[in-house]
Amino acid sequence: MNAPCNTLISKVLVLDETGSGGEMLKAFCDETGLAPIRPQKHAVAGVMAILNSNVDLGGILLYEDFGGCGRGIALAREIHASRPELPIFLRRRAVASMAGFDADTAAMFRCAYTMDDLSVLRGSIEASVFSRVYPTDLVRNIGSMTRESLRTLFRHCDVEVETPYLVKDKIIYGEVFTMIAIESAWCRGYMMLQAAEEQALSLLDSAAADGARRSFRELNNVLGEATNLIWGGFKNKYVSPVGAPPAGQTQVPIVINHQRRYISFGSEDPQLCFKYVLKDRERPDAPGVPIYQRFVFNLNWAPESFAENPTVESFVESGELELF
Amino acid sequence: MAKILVVDDSSTVRNEVVSYLKGKGYSVSEAVDGKDGLDKIKSDGELKLIISDVNMPNMDGLTMAEKVRSDLKNPGVNIIMLTTENSPAMKERGKAAGIKGWIVKPFNGDAIVGAVGKLVS
Repeated sequence: MNAPCNTLISKVLVLDETGSGGEMLKAFCDETGLAPIRPQKHAVAGVMAILNSNVDLGGILLYEDFGGCGRGIALAREIHASRPELPIFLRRRAVASMAGFDADTAAMFRCAYTMDDLSVLRGSIEASVFSRVYPTDLVRNIGSMTRESLRTLFRHCDVEVETPYLVKDKIIYGEVFTMIAIESAWCRGYMMLQAAEEQALSLLDSAAADGARRSFRELNNVLGEATNLIWGGFKNKYVSPVGAPPAGQTQVPIVINHQRRYISFGSEDPQLCFKYVLKDRERPDAPGVPIYQRFVFNLNWAPESFAENPTVESFVESGELELF
Repeated sequence: MAKILVVDDSSTVRNEVVSYLKGKGYSVSEAVDGKDGLDKIKSDGELKLIISDVNMPNMDGLTMAEKVRSDLKNPGVNIIMLTTENSPAMKERGKAAGIKGWIVKPFNGDAIVGAVGKLVS
């Protein structure tokens, strides 16, 4: 997939056996920008493993009888205990309400809906998954400036960018990640790049002229420089030197749990996520190497004030020398 | 050939720039931040050109350039910045510090070699 970066989607895990309603749910996903992921039929036992291998979900569509009569609720308890940040949208057999549930059970779900009326589900998804407006120009430009930065550092690779999406997950992908603060008059937060070490190292090994194995420190440096280039591009385009946020503004603690590969910025808002796939031109049969990029504007988000910096005539193209 | 100092906290960038310059026969040394760069400029009177990043830990490149001018009283080295920064305000500050050129990352080797050729000839 090398789709244009101007439409946001969100991946959802669909745990539903809708029968004839399947087509309706599929159409609903298409309309609302949801990319459904389905497990093998009746593979209830494997749901947690599937969940753990997908670290960029926006939510879960769950049928209360998934896997057998009433078993969906037990499954929801497991999911909620493991990934409480993921909103669960519950399809009920007959009535679109939490009737029959105690308060703790009802609190696990973002809404209850039936196939007869998907407007409840639509409203709930818009409120929890697509709750933030990300300007189209911003999304498109982030994708293109990041792709160019990665091409600069991985010169032997083609870089594809998949359709950007929104995630509620707080799971870290891979073992290596960089993080840099992004601050402007209209946004404050962080950008992260995340990669799996072995996969990303294979790209550096392939590019090495001496054939020697590269070390993780070199990968750290390359991803660090990629972060720097993207941050610089973002800053030049979107962070105005006039009206920049003053020093001493609010901060919130960032919590990282290495055991669970979990990171929280103290915000429940959906994160803007991009997936880039690097393909080594010298090894066309090798699998593509993904690098995930996440933006978390947890400290300020005012898209109504979003603006690009005006182009200044004295600006020169990247890479050119400007003599004084 | 002229002696050149490359100042950047990214070893990826340093390695690439050094590789370009050594390929052209220049004698090149490296510093990991502005403070390290300033120490090396003070201790090596034969340096002809500094190529420096702006955003670095301990001491940024513009502060280093200002100190070269104020503390070392223009020791005869030229400085060009190699950075992601592209704001007029930053460049004005650089000009005031006597910086001779500005290259915005991502860079290409020809620009580096061309700049060096102009400034050390």
